[in-house]
Amino acid sequence: MLRLTLKNLAANRIRLAMTTFAVILAVAFVVSSFVLTDGLRSSFGDLSQDIVAGTDLELRPVEEFGEAGLLPEPVLDDVAAIDGVAAAAPVYVAENSIRPINSEGQEISSSGPPQISFGWVDDARLNTFTVVEGEPPASAGEFSMDLDAAASHGFAVGETYNIVTPTGRTEATLTGLTRFGENNDTLGATLMQFNLADLQAMVGEEGYDSIAVALTSDADKAAVEAAMLAISPATEVVDQATLESEQRASFNEGIDIIGNILLGFAGISLFVSTFIIYNTFSIVLGQRTRELALLRTVGADPVQLRRSVRIEALMIGIVASAVGIIAGIGVALGLRELFGLLGAELPESPIVISLRTVLVAAAVGIGVTLISAVGPARKAAKVSPIAALRDGVDAGAVSGRLRMLLGSLLSIVGLGAGAVGLFVASGTANIILMLAVGSISVFVGVTMLSPVVATPLTGLMGWPLRSTMGMSGQLAQQNAGRNPQRTATTAAALMIGLALVAMTFTVGESVKAQLRSTLESSVKADYLAIDDSGGGSPFPTEVKDRFVASSATDVVTSFRYDDVMVDGEIRDALGTDFAATDVLFDLGIDQGVGVDPTVEHPLMVSDEEALASGIEVGDVVAMTFASGEARDMTVIAIYTDDIVAEEPFMVDLHTWNEVGAAPTDMWLAIALAEGVTGDQADAAFAPIGTDFPQVEISTANAYVERAAASIDQALATVNVMVALAVIIALIGIANTLALSVFERTRELGLLRAVGMTRRQLRRMVRLEAALVALFGAILGVGLGVLFGWAAVVALPASVTSTLSVPVTRILVLVGVAGAAGLVAAFGPARRASKLNVLDAISG
Amino acid sequence: MVQQMTVLMETKPQPMVAAAAAASGATKIYGSGDTEVTALANVDVRFDVGRMTAIMGPSGSGKSTLMQCMAGLDRLSSGQVHIGGTDLSSLNERELTRLRRDRVGFIFQAFNLIPTLSAIENITLPMDLAGTKPDQQWLDHVIGTVGLGDRLRHRPSELSGGQQQRVAVARALASQPEIIFADEPTGNLDSRTGGEILAFMASAVVDLGQTIVMVTHDPVAASYADRVVFLADGRIAGEINNPTADSVLDRMRGLGD
Repeated sequence: MLRLTLKNLAANRIRLAMTTFAVILAVAFVVSSFVLTDGLRSSFGDLSQDIVAGTDLELRPVEEFGEAGLLPEPVLDDVAAIDGVAAAAPVYVAENSIRPINSEGQEISSSGPPQISFGWVDDARLNTFTVVEGEPPASAGEFSMDLDAAASHGFAVGETYNIVTPTGRTEATLTGLTRFGENNDTLGATLMQFNLADLQAMVGEEGYDSIAVALTSDADKAAVEAAMLAISPATEVVDQATLESEQRASFNEGIDIIGNILLGFAGISLFVSTFIIYNTFSIVLGQRTRELALLRTVGADPVQLRRSVRIEALMIGIVASAVGIIAGIGVALGLRELFGLLGAELPESPIVISLRTVLVAAAVGIGVTLISAVGPARKAAKVSPIAALRDGVDAGAVSGRLRMLLGSLLSIVGLGAGAVGLFVASGTANIILMLAVGSISVFVGVTMLSPVVATPLTGLMGWPLRSTMGMSGQLAQQNAGRNPQRTATTAAALMIGLALVAMTFTVGESVKAQLRSTLESSVKADYLAIDDSGGGSPFPTEVKDRFVASSATDVVTSFRYDDVMVDGEIRDALGTDFAATDVLFDLGIDQGVGVDPTVEHPLMVSDEEALASGIEVGDVVAMTFASGEARDMTVIAIYTDDIVAEEPFMVDLHTWNEVGAAPTDMWLAIALAEGVTGDQADAAFAPIGTDFPQVEISTANAYVERAAASIDQALATVNVMVALAVIIALIGIANTLALSVFERTRELGLLRAVGMTRRQLRRMVRLEAALVALFGAILGVGLGVLFGWAAVVALPASVTSTLSVPVTRILVLVGVAGAAGLVAAFGPARRASKLNVLDAISG
Repeated sequence: MVQQMTVLMETKPQPMVAAAAAASGATKIYGSGDTEVTALANVDVRFDVGRMTAIMGPSGSGKSTLMQCMAGLDRLSSGQVHIGGTDLSSLNERELTRLRRDRVGFIFQAFNLIPTLSAIENITLPMDLAGTKPDQQWLDHVIGTVGLGDRLRHRPSELSGGQQQRVAVARALASQPEIIFADEPTGNLDSRTGGEILAFMASAVVDLGQTIVMVTHDPVAASYADRVVFLADGRIAGEINNPTADSVLDRMRGLGD
């Protein structure tokens, strides 16, 4: 029996190749996601080591609220004075807020790897940088940069550059080039060093992030720790190992996100592949019914037949997994390039192939193949010996009613799980688990139900074909409908891919629609000024002053963000000029008024927060600011808007400045003066843009359209990944058709004999593929829109709450799927048309 | 010897009656070198318009090869085949397909019908492939003769073997081809049903003036023909006009079947 199985495999090489191909792709994708993330982990692990090298202990504040997040400067001397401390150095780092501009007037892009500025540490033991050229930054107005960033962004030692900071604009001379760690493995980041006091002044902060300590060789570590802790309250001391593992963990968090996304897509490919492998096994065994029956008549028992099919699956699984593991390494390299092309560049990292990767890949490849073969193997075992004597019987299928019942049950369970995931479950992992289980159940359920509609739906879609494509069209339509289960399973793979694409389209469109409707309904400002990282780093107040001074503007308002403490909890607050904002935005105030000059410390509260904590207009809320100052705030309004002001609290700028909350602006909104045209405004604002290149000044419309475009870009990235699943699905269609063509050899021969031309035959096969693809596409976009709707309901209202279906895009998607079906059938159609008529009819 | 002579005389071209199809010097060789097999060796034969001719011979005599080459399903190694005035060797693949579609009808032993098409759709298939409208009067006549009645809208799987073959014959007749080639058309049927089909074919020749060439190894089937041509080892081995089952059987014994 084993020999027969092996011979069978060898005899059907093409069929074997097509089955394995689906498994290979799925395995390759799993492998590539592991290889990529392992590579990233390894390089970031090295980086973590470099970062903490030399530091034995570190003293840092525990609480991270406002200035409590920084250590007072006098602490440094106290630490240095402790017995056993060889060296103590203040650590102060600013991320992405200090932006040098090169001699061509360009700043380093803010969307790429981070730009990190360090306060220069004089003690070599605690300094992770080594000067390789020139001098370290000794005084204000000097800085150094890591050699690779200097080379790639065009900075030269000795030159003086403009530098944009949160507090304004300044100049600094590049005095030297530095190396980070041993090999300057910065993973593309730009690392700069400034004189510490200079850096603090540029950011506008006092104090240190932490104090790094190197111990003497005979120091009592525990005693030093205790002494350090005693200096200042609300501090902690951590050692090198902890620092390194914390660093590693924080990197891994990001890497895990990438890894999980990749694994998610690998899972989708795997799921899609399962359908194709299952379908291939089913068809192949259906075709071998007579052979199996013959085996039964000569004495093979059902157990042997079942085992034979399983061994065949096992062989395919083993071979495909082995090939898939190798292919996966290639895919990993390809994906990295792809990410780069899409603007989400991954850092250079080594190719890491761990034993875990190999084991998981093999388990997945073999497992999926074996699972796919369970059903077909059972069917094979049920073939009765008498089938050998009958002509063209299909192996016993699951009865229609049972399938309907199972399909309905799975769909309902799936929808239920999805609903639980969306509305009940808490915790990302739980939600994702419920959604995954839900969508998988729905997909399988719909696939089981879809044979019922396969024949009528392909008939309906084929209607135009009958009239335009003549006999080829009619036969194609009937062939697509003649084996509904096969059509349904083949189409299912495409359905899954397209459901995901349609869902992302729908969600994206809904988010964009919300953006546009917000612009229309609540933004009355003409222009917006936002930092080019999209609100990530604040800019100096001078920008606002320049707008206010311009004769082109009428009203200018700014938005600032900071932490506040309410009821002992750290909350987000928005600081803005109430009077100006009231003019420029409609915040949907449903209780109270936006401006109340009689109140000294006015506060506005979001409707969600008001509901949650029972706050009403007129209430007094005790609020502590990051500076440590506290005020009793009077609630003057409850606002419903959650797009302009996502935060629970809005504080008037007057109070904000009085308590010394964050002094820099995140974004500005501007209304033009009466009679000022867009061109005049552009001209008036241009010098501000030149002086502050990190601020993007554009009309509110243009801003929304830019945001919409970036949503589209994100969708494109998702869809590129889904495309792999779609490609697997198309291979599945080609596979099914190749098998159908093989199965219908005599029929095709007859058609050729009675006068069907090769071209007509090719067209017939291709149109059948197109119909199967269209069937899958229509089911897919149907489910996709449904899922999209669920996502819109589940997403926070600040993202979107209005369902908007991108009809045109979805129609294009369906059309493309149909066309892809035509293309997928190229091979099978060619083979069908090349059939030797005589062989076919006398076979 | 005398018999041989009459055969030679009778197989000479007879310009008085128009030939629906003719082969001259038809040779078909499969393989090459050691595995070379000669299926047809320099065969000259013609089939007259409005008559049913049976081709008989033992297995491997080349009768099916002759039919396939004459019907444009296969090509000769050398020699010529004409359908009407057309030399098939001058046609390319597409022209051959068109010829089969427009000028030739086929009846095979089994698997004659496309399972997804109804009986009536199978009957009009060649015309639908050509994109031409069938002659409705003729079609009604043919369908009336087939006698399928209300089963015309049924799929082949819902028809009996005899009914399926009737549909196949009707398809061959429907496009009014110059010639119909039938390959063991009753091979899969019981003798009574087979007899009905053969009588139906014979009536098409008599009543409709159709030309039919039928390959068979059944002497009873051959007896429905106007003329039987015998083949052995790829060569013409004689013929009988107005055959009976017994006369055919006698001759077959002589050929060593």
